[in-house]
Amino acid sequence: MSMPLAIECEGVTKHYPHFQLQDVNLSFEQGTVMGLVGPNGAGKSTILRIIMGLIGPDSGRVKVLGHSMPKDQLAAKRNIGFVAEDMRLYESENIAFHMDFIKSIFDSWDDEYAKNLLRRFDLNRNQKVKGLSHGQRVKATLLLALARRPNLLVFDEPTTGLDPAVRKEVLDEMMGSLQDETHSVLFSSHNTLDVEQISDYITFIYGGRIIESRNKEDFMDGWRRLRLTNLSNSLLPNLANIKDVQQSGRLCTLTVNNYEESILEKFASAGLQINNIERLTLEEIFLANVQSAKANSNKETLA
Amino acid sequence: MSISIIPQLVRKDFLMMRKTILIFCLVMLASIAAICLIFGRVPNVVFFNLGITLLIAPAITCAIVLIMKTIVMEKQKSTQLFIMSLPVTVKEFTMSKLLLNLPVFTVFWLAISGVAFYFSFGLGVFPFGTIPFITMIFLGIFVAYVGVLSVALIYQSYGITIITMLFLELGTPAYLWIIAFMEPINSHFYEPHMVWNSTAISIVATQIIAAIAALLITWHIQNKKRDFI
Repeated sequence: MSMPLAIECEGVTKHYPHFQLQDVNLSFEQGTVMGLVGPNGAGKSTILRIIMGLIGPDSGRVKVLGHSMPKDQLAAKRNIGFVAEDMRLYESENIAFHMDFIKSIFDSWDDEYAKNLLRRFDLNRNQKVKGLSHGQRVKATLLLALARRPNLLVFDEPTTGLDPAVRKEVLDEMMGSLQDETHSVLFSSHNTLDVEQISDYITFIYGGRIIESRNKEDFMDGWRRLRLTNLSNSLLPNLANIKDVQQSGRLCTLTVNNYEESILEKFASAGLQINNIERLTLEEIFLANVQSAKANSNKETLA
Repeated sequence: MSISIIPQLVRKDFLMMRKTILIFCLVMLASIAAICLIFGRVPNVVFFNLGITLLIAPAITCAIVLIMKTIVMEKQKSTQLFIMSLPVTVKEFTMSKLLLNLPVFTVFWLAISGVAFYFSFGLGVFPFGTIPFITMIFLGIFVAYVGVLSVALIYQSYGITIITMLFLELGTPAYLWIIAFMEPINSHFYEPHMVWNSTAISIVATQIIAAIAALLITWHIQNKKRDFI
């Protein structure tokens, strides 16, 4: 039996004078982690804010944990923990003040877990927010989101600007929050290493559009880099899944999506000698995707 | 069922602002003490101008500090994103801000109005004929405050809020001077009893309606907002 959906976006659009979010379709099941990857200004934060009900879409439908957003945002937000890179706590107050405030709102607040997180994050509950470093501030915000035990965690660039040690702590805790199969995480990042590390599903976004969304294994299995030697200067087969071609003399490097063994036969029959087949890292897949999206966007502009 | 978190939001803002409110309460008490000290030692007109400045200054300053810290800075310092990630709607956020700011200012406003009326009329500094005009002065202060509060809630911008404050700070005395020169109002200043003629009633009614309208318009605009970050 399939799990109910944690998030379901259908045909979501949002127009700003200098940016448009176009036809966003995004969904993933409860109990899974979805990583949203895109360069700065791609629309990641806008999507997450629409999902949180903080921004109203111009068109389309958004459901979070079965609740329509932004209409049922009160019920939905009772079960969501949201952390954003640009979210700030009250500088004049200490961490304890914020913990008491959140505790007064959520019956689900787990005191023991909060204390545990304070220890693990090496935070002092009596320290004023003003005196916290960036990393400590992110950890404090994360603590406030996690200790209320939400079913869904939404993180907007949670690891931006963190040193590797703090980044690991934050990612470990994000993973630790998925204790049972009903807990889900949606997080955005332009750091593909973080996404590769913890995501079950990955969505690439560029220029306000989702350019690819699949589960991580499919992503990693679907992309290959082929190194070929073009002995007789033959024409490359015209295949839709060739995303990038780099040529240097007789040596030719192709980046291929939706890779299948049968592609190799097509190259061999075209007179190309296959020297090497490499898997791509998520970062390379992301860059290839962005490059391809840019090329398509340029073609559309010219047309 | 979702229970509103307005009480928690108001409590949070109150706890954060309690020292500021306390300080201004103490300043207000010091002002009242100063008024008591100068009473009878300076001419009535000097006493009135000095007294009203001593009373209004801490009340207005406290109100402005509260508006800036609880409404404008909430957006400017990105703490609003933290608050709006909680189970709260724009409507509830607006209500929580009104429920902190309005009562605090109203208490200050009632206190300064009470002290001013006591000294002006209880101790016989002015004839009762000026009661309608003094009422208009204090209602004018309240309307100006509601105007600033509304603009702060709608725009949450330092610039726009400060411009509105300056505009109302300059506009309110000008408007009161205009009223003071209106014959149906000033012709009764020296009478031993107050005269609520149709002009006086219309002005007071307009002031009350303006304050209520500003709040209703603010509420309506806030409810219509689709993007709140």
